[in-house]
Amino acid sequence: MAKKIQCISGHDSGVRTDSRILEERIQLAVREGARKLEVDAVGQHGIGGRLWVSKEEPIYVTITGSPGQRIGSKGFPGTTIEVLDGVSDDVGWLNAGAEIIVHGNASNGACNAMAQGKVFVAGNIGARGMTMTKTNPRFEPPELWVLGSVGDYFAEFMAGGTAVVCGHEAQDSKNVLGYRPCVGMVGGRIFVRGPIDGFSQADSKMESIDDETWTWLTENLAAYLKKIRKTRLLKKLTRREEWQLIRAKTPFEKKGRVRRSISDFRANVWDAELGRGGLIGDLTDLDRSPIPLIVHGELRRSVPVWENRKYMAPCQSSCPTGMPVQERWRLVRDGLVDEAVDLALAYTPFPATVCGYLCPNLCMEGCTRQTGNMASVDITKLGREGHKSKAPKMPPLSGKRVAVIGGGPAGISIAWQIRMKGHEAVVYDMAETLGGKIASAIPDSRVPREVVEAEIERAAKVLPHVHLRQELKSREFEELKEEYEFVILAIGAQKPRMIPVPGHERITPALTFLQEVKKGRMKAGRKVVIIGAGNVGCDVATVAAGVGAEEITLIDIQEPASFGKERKEAEEVGARFKWPCFTKEVTEKGVLLQSGELLEADTVIMSIGDQPDVEFLPDTIALDRGHVVVNDDYQTTDAKVFAIGDIVRPGLLTHAIGHGRRAAEVIDDIFAGRRPRSDTREMIDYTRMTLEYFDPRVIEFSDMNQCAAECSSCGSCRDCYLCETICPQVAISRIELDNGGFERVVDPDKCIACGFCANSCPCGIWDMKQAAPIE
Amino acid sequence: MLSERPVTPSTLSRKDLPWQVKWDIHTCTKCGRCTAVCPVNAIELGVFRKREIKTSMGLSAKPVNEFSTFYGIRQRTDPAYACIGCAMCNLVCPNNSIEPHREYDSTTLQFHNNRGGQSRARGGRRNSSESLLDQLKFIRISMLTDPALDAGRHEFEMRTLLGRVLSPEAQIKCHQENGWKPPVREIYPLVIGGMSFGALSPNMWEGLQMGVAYLNEEMNMPVRICTGEGGCPPRLLRSRFLKYVILQIASGYFGWDEIIHAIPEMKEDPCAIEIKYGQGAKPGDGGLLMWHKVNKLIAAIRGVPKGISLPSPPTHQTQYSIEESVAKMIQSMSMAWGFRVPVYPKISASSTSLAVLNNLVRNPFAAGLAIDGEDGGTGAAYNVSMNHMGHPIASNLRDCYKVLCLAGAQNEIPLIAGGGIGKNGNLAANAAALMMLGASMVQVGKYVMQAGAGCLGSEKDRCNVCNLGICPKGITSQDPRIYRRLDPEKVAERVVDFYLSFDTELRKVFAPLGRSTSLPIGMSDGLGISDKAAADRLDIKYVI
Repeated sequence: MAKKIQCISGHDSGVRTDSRILEERIQLAVREGARKLEVDAVGQHGIGGRLWVSKEEPIYVTITGSPGQRIGSKGFPGTTIEVLDGVSDDVGWLNAGAEIIVHGNASNGACNAMAQGKVFVAGNIGARGMTMTKTNPRFEPPELWVLGSVGDYFAEFMAGGTAVVCGHEAQDSKNVLGYRPCVGMVGGRIFVRGPIDGFSQADSKMESIDDETWTWLTENLAAYLKKIRKTRLLKKLTRREEWQLIRAKTPFEKKGRVRRSISDFRANVWDAELGRGGLIGDLTDLDRSPIPLIVHGELRRSVPVWENRKYMAPCQSSCPTGMPVQERWRLVRDGLVDEAVDLALAYTPFPATVCGYLCPNLCMEGCTRQTGNMASVDITKLGREGHKSKAPKMPPLSGKRVAVIGGGPAGISIAWQIRMKGHEAVVYDMAETLGGKIASAIPDSRVPREVVEAEIERAAKVLPHVHLRQELKSREFEELKEEYEFVILAIGAQKPRMIPVPGHERITPALTFLQEVKKGRMKAGRKVVIIGAGNVGCDVATVAAGVGAEEITLIDIQEPASFGKERKEAEEVGARFKWPCFTKEVTEKGVLLQSGELLEADTVIMSIGDQPDVEFLPDTIALDRGHVVVNDDYQTTDAKVFAIGDIVRPGLLTHAIGHGRRAAEVIDDIFAGRRPRSDTREMIDYTRMTLEYFDPRVIEFSDMNQCAAECSSCGSCRDCYLCETICPQVAISRIELDNGGFERVVDPDKCIACGFCANSCPCGIWDMKQAAPIE
Repeated sequence: MLSERPVTPSTLSRKDLPWQVKWDIHTCTKCGRCTAVCPVNAIELGVFRKREIKTSMGLSAKPVNEFSTFYGIRQRTDPAYACIGCAMCNLVCPNNSIEPHREYDSTTLQFHNNRGGQSRARGGRRNSSESLLDQLKFIRISMLTDPALDAGRHEFEMRTLLGRVLSPEAQIKCHQENGWKPPVREIYPLVIGGMSFGALSPNMWEGLQMGVAYLNEEMNMPVRICTGEGGCPPRLLRSRFLKYVILQIASGYFGWDEIIHAIPEMKEDPCAIEIKYGQGAKPGDGGLLMWHKVNKLIAAIRGVPKGISLPSPPTHQTQYSIEESVAKMIQSMSMAWGFRVPVYPKISASSTSLAVLNNLVRNPFAAGLAIDGEDGGTGAAYNVSMNHMGHPIASNLRDCYKVLCLAGAQNEIPLIAGGGIGKNGNLAANAAALMMLGASMVQVGKYVMQAGAGCLGSEKDRCNVCNLGICPKGITSQDPRIYRRLDPEKVAERVVDFYLSFDTELRKVFAPLGRSTSLPIGMSDGLGISDKAAADRLDIKYVI
């Protein structure tokens, strides 16, 4: 039975048998013991596959006629299928072990998804052969042998097995491997003989055939040729040099398409075409090479600058006298208390009287600590020590002389300054002693008399004083101009302002009242009305209370502008403030208001300010509403005449002193033939200082050392080493200078421009400046 | 006096700022890198006072205060120094101790971005992440109905035509009469849109150009790039790379004398000339390169003195009507290269786009129409223009394409779409959708910034300081201290990277459509959207 060939026809009486029926017949025959079958095919599908028993008992199927698609589909080990002519599509589809011999050509899709078994084709095959093949480690890998050529898209996604393309009498003799083979190939190998037109380099590679492989090929080639009955071709097909081997790349070999590096492209293509420096190499020499995000040197977008003493401290800037307050505290910190006290004399002849007592201390109002809601550093402590200071040694006289008319704070200030600069300043004043209002009108309660006297005496010792017996006339003024290089008008405002209401002759001017009381020549009535409730009015009230007044009323046309100590003291003596009040008349009973109300008064005092007495001045000196017009240097319209103090505009004592200091500088510059200069430093911005280093709960200062410690030293380096410590790059260092000073410098090669120095400096010295553009 | 900071309407706290800097006191090493790198000085070293009140148990001793200081990173609250969220601080922080955090409830700043009466101007894009293009789906997936194509395996024709394609009748007539045939370029359908030398840093510009040259010469992809309006470096004009370049002319005419001088010395014709009339991101508004960005180099390339502001007005001075704009400009520019170079206008998408298109159809020299939608980006514009002006690209393009279809000219005059393509990263999907709505090609700029150079901008108002010359990545700055952060080679590499991946993705979209021999331009039957109104408006399928 086993040796008998069982013929199965693919047609019944000229009618084609259905594929399903033919399959049933073949399976039945095998079940009944047939092991050699001959099938006369008429286009049936899948003949020869699925003969499960062949694994134990080999089955041989010969196919004659015209088989359909998928010959040997799901073929089993032990099955041999021999097709006497060509086959249609997908021969050996999903072959799991059958051996298929095709004596003609095979069309498209040969061996698609074949996992085991062998397909021997004696001709050419069509497109998409050997695609999606597999290799299962449990079995021998599949093989496809083709005598001629293969069609396009060969071995797509091939994952195993061996394909051998002999290129003998190839259908396409110029390209035996077809168009775009091996795309997606992941396993297996392809032996090919004859010309090819490329393959997917991304997926596979050409490899040399070693001896062992060549032996395998030649041995199996002989067996293949025997099966297709073309042994005679063996010699022709075994010329080793004609064969090539393509194998799938391993995942490690698949690097994708290897791209030329951009730097190579840039150097050898881009710059080669455009020229050195690329796109804009002809337009700029700028270095455009890459840099990191954190940079040094000139690549920093900003640079820290140590701006020591570049700006004025707010205290100094706020002080009309221009006192370098922060410098005095530095001296105290350095243990040089006497020097700190004495330093003031370079700026004012009245450090104790004014800074210590009478000044509202604009420096303290300006103190940076105020911005942090902290108590200002108290300058009065330092100021009050000033009356003990000895006058500095005066330089020899230059021979240049100026006349100062007026011996008040402004006049003494300028005379003091001019003398200190080595010139002679002669003070002309109506009073027997110098001092002006400080000496004659300010109540003793405000400043101890001995302090004032000590300071006036210190100045008087070095200042010649001409005691005028009568008011200056214009002729005498002209003579002074002739005699001196410059004449300084510092006569203050001595003429009380009066309102011309009926009965105004009953009114005592405030200045007269204060001066007379101070000399002990005047008392106040029981009831006092003071017209004008400013700070002078307050002084009047306080003084009046000491000389008999019991009911004191200050009236004003608006809310009184008085403030500070003066106001407080007036309130302490029981003075009443009343506004708005418009005086209609002053009668013997008192002050009658426009409202009809009568304010009873024994004494009526007017304190609405004083005016300069300028009658003796020539027309060449311009006036504006009773005051002398000056430029920024306090020079009047007559170049030989300067004017300072209240004659220029009403102000504080410190203003008068500051005018004097400035005018003296200008005059000294003129004497020296220099263009007048001034300290043009701007005030430092408050935001630059850092106050977090100071105790916010300090509301009072116990002593000068504490004041000095709590001073932020705005604009002047405290030399605290904080910046050096905080710099993350250790870029800041301190350099001793030849003059005994020091400076801090930044190493540009270390600095990264983080700004930490600027943000942490208590004194606001460091600033981050935008770097100059690079172009 | 200054005892307390005066409170003004614009006095803000950290809570009022959209970007709030989170800083970790425990891990910060105070290395200074964050404050060194912050482009807007939004952060600084803070000195803080710490108070401890020491009270003894049983109150046995007098309680005492102890003050000390500590240091940290503090965010400034002055609107002029508001954090922009670029997160460069985080990038340089060794310990990940600092980062900006967007607070959507903190809206105060947006009411104070007009101080001094100055309207807010910025770079960037519309602050809206919505994207109709992202909603479009490709619903036609051929499995059995058409030959199924494999994006990875099959070959695709990825080129498109830029230039006037004659109708068959006209072609025959032209052939018979040996007439003038309009120039047509076969190019890659993703074009890098116009960004000027000046708006972009030299390193960025060179990186883009180099990447484009590489794609052409190494990857065989005919990618084209538009110069934007800021001239073109003389070397590029005289190089073979010019054929990859679309020269732009706009209302400022910057650098055009240099281009004219170079014409007789050109080795290659440029790819095309784009006449810019409008920009989608800021329709109706022009450009302004501020004087401080006009340094020696920019001045040389633009052909202007350095240190002056360079306005590109919203309109061309010598054109008064559509007819003039279309006829006069296109003719002039065509003539410059002997009618060998395609010339097309670029307009911002607008309800008037059709009028322009109709004029172009009648003009034999018009090589196409570029339409730029509202979602485009810009280096500088008013916030109001960016956020509120403009027309979405999808419907505008669709209308134009359908009009061409009505005229039977849909294959003759290419539409170039731009504005918001890839705004959420979906470059290929957005581009494919626009092509299927009728675009022959698309232009991208913003995506190039983001993918090519790591631009940090977003639709959440992040960074957006392109106009200030302080771009933290060095993309839009003329300061070497900043632009040297950007390596042209790395930009070129990224351009190549995203073009290759775009190419793959585009194939992934087109393969299931069964299209490989030509781009599916106008193949709107393959598009669907789950928004009925949008489906009706775009004349595509409504799918849910």
